[in-house]
Amino acid sequence: MTSAIRATFVCALVGICAVTPALAQGTPERAKVLRAAADALGMGRWSDIGGANTRLPGIDIVNTMELQGSGTSDMGGRQVKTEFHIALGYNPVAARIELTRTPDGGAAQHVIQTVRDTYAWNESEVGAGLVSGKGVATPAMAAVRERLLRVWMLPYGVVKAAYAAGDKTVVSTEAGATVITVPLSGQLAGITLKATLDAKNLISKVEARADNPALANLACTVEYSNYADHAEVLTDVQTPGRIVAKEGGRTVLDMTVKTWETNNPYLVFPVPPNVKAAPASTTSR
Amino acid sequence: MAVSRRVITTAAALCFATAAVFAQNPAPRTGPRTVNAPPKPTGTTPRAADGHPDLTGVWNGLGDNLNGVPNQIANNGIAIESETVARDLHSGQMVTVFPRLNNRPQNNEQAERAAALLRRSGSNRPIYKPEYWDMVKYNDHNANEEDPSNNCMPAGVPRGAIPSYIAQFPNHVMFVYPGQGGLIATQTMYRMIPTDGRKHTPLQELDGTYTGESIAHWDGDTLVVDSWGFNANTWFDQIGGYMHGENMHVIERFRRDGNTLTWTATVEDPDYLLEPWTTTPRVALLNPRPDAMLPESQPCSERDLAHIVTKEHH
Repeated sequence: MTSAIRATFVCALVGICAVTPALAQGTPERAKVLRAAADALGMGRWSDIGGANTRLPGIDIVNTMELQGSGTSDMGGRQVKTEFHIALGYNPVAARIELTRTPDGGAAQHVIQTVRDTYAWNESEVGAGLVSGKGVATPAMAAVRERLLRVWMLPYGVVKAAYAAGDKTVVSTEAGATVITVPLSGQLAGITLKATLDAKNLISKVEARADNPALANLACTVEYSNYADHAEVLTDVQTPGRIVAKEGGRTVLDMTVKTWETNNPYLVFPVPPNVKAAPASTTSR
Repeated sequence: MAVSRRVITTAAALCFATAAVFAQNPAPRTGPRTVNAPPKPTGTTPRAADGHPDLTGVWNGLGDNLNGVPNQIANNGIAIESETVARDLHSGQMVTVFPRLNNRPQNNEQAERAAALLRRSGSNRPIYKPEYWDMVKYNDHNANEEDPSNNCMPAGVPRGAIPSYIAQFPNHVMFVYPGQGGLIATQTMYRMIPTDGRKHTPLQELDGTYTGESIAHWDGDTLVVDSWGFNANTWFDQIGGYMHGENMHVIERFRRDGNTLTWTATVEDPDYLLEPWTTTPRVALLNPRPDAMLPESQPCSERDLAHIVTKEHH
């Protein structure tokens, strides 16, 4: 089940951002490639307000995003029709993934999988468990890594992780394509991301490899294509129009994006009290 | 789109004109500002006859109010501390810095989109009850139509943030917030706030207003302004679509250190918020010129909103 979505998005590590981004600029070649990847996505922006009196550098403006799409996802080994509604953020690292799956001849099934920092839980409705009597939040701590990985495997997550990893980020060329290799840390230590850039410096493929055998179930590949600004409020942030995730070469998710709002919309992920009180990794995902 | 660009251009021009008028500004500087981190205080803190810090002055120096344009990003929580280091003030998370590769100014569309992103990238967001999450998002998404401060209405409290002028008297303080004719078209606002120890009028006896009923007291060297009795016709920040109800209660804290004034506000609204929300501290600099004056506010007459054809907004 979650293997399907696992491949969808990008990865996480608590504490990754404690590394000064400037460290990532130690090697000129690496700095050049990372900057090109960030610029291709539209991640770095600056303010001209203030005219000649101000010359602020650009900063990474990607924080919260919300996308909706349709396609298929894996359900018990079968690809079933799926509607996706995903909210995510990088400060804090969090995601809320709503899936409505409709198996052939079956009734639609709706699940909401949420993660923030070291907490993962399932919601019976958006925001469940925060107000007494409004829905049920079920802790799912065992799914923390997998859900965080989805966030970090997005193109923006890869670039953020690459800057944060500093000298540990390696840039290389494989089969004529530029490749960024980033070891994750924190909760995702033991996972390495390998991102392939296309001719426009857009990330076209991200592979998650498990250096630690205990994390082998997190290995996956996600392909991104048809980049454009898919937002209603245009921002010039480039987002993929199609996402295909594979595990062991088998497609577990295929999504066509309808909208992808990138203007840092109001998306919040407060952890319900019962989830905060739940012991780590005691429940299944 | 052409119309939208005209709107942006006009608004930006008016804003800069206003900023220029205000720019009888302090901080002698060589070259353009390359950081927006809060300014460090210098000088001594003057005191009133009663021993409390004297907040009197024109507080428009590279500050927080709408004319302190470089700090619009810092206002929303990202401090660019150097040309390689930026930090989210609320979470402490480092933010990647991208050096500018050339001096080419952005066109209006690029600048507008960048500003919209920059001002929303911080992490300090009020946590509403879940039933309002979609509404807040809708408000911000459609702010061109939904922002209650458009059409020259008052910004209200706490959105007004640091007043451009404060006059401190033994039994009250006077706050003045010049209106904006440009980028943010709002009405001039003033507040006369007693510091004589009086209590609030019971909430149910108040007709809600834009600035509410404010009373103030000193907590050590910090002026604490306690307000309630609001109407629901304002948002409590410039961005975000942060609506509130008539039971909103706001506690502002003003602290002067030398030539700086630091402001925070804590918003309580049990009808809308899951928990109280405190703004990221904002810091304004005192205009040091003894002849510093507030110029006349730009006349506010909203003519552009009806012509905006996209959802893009600042």
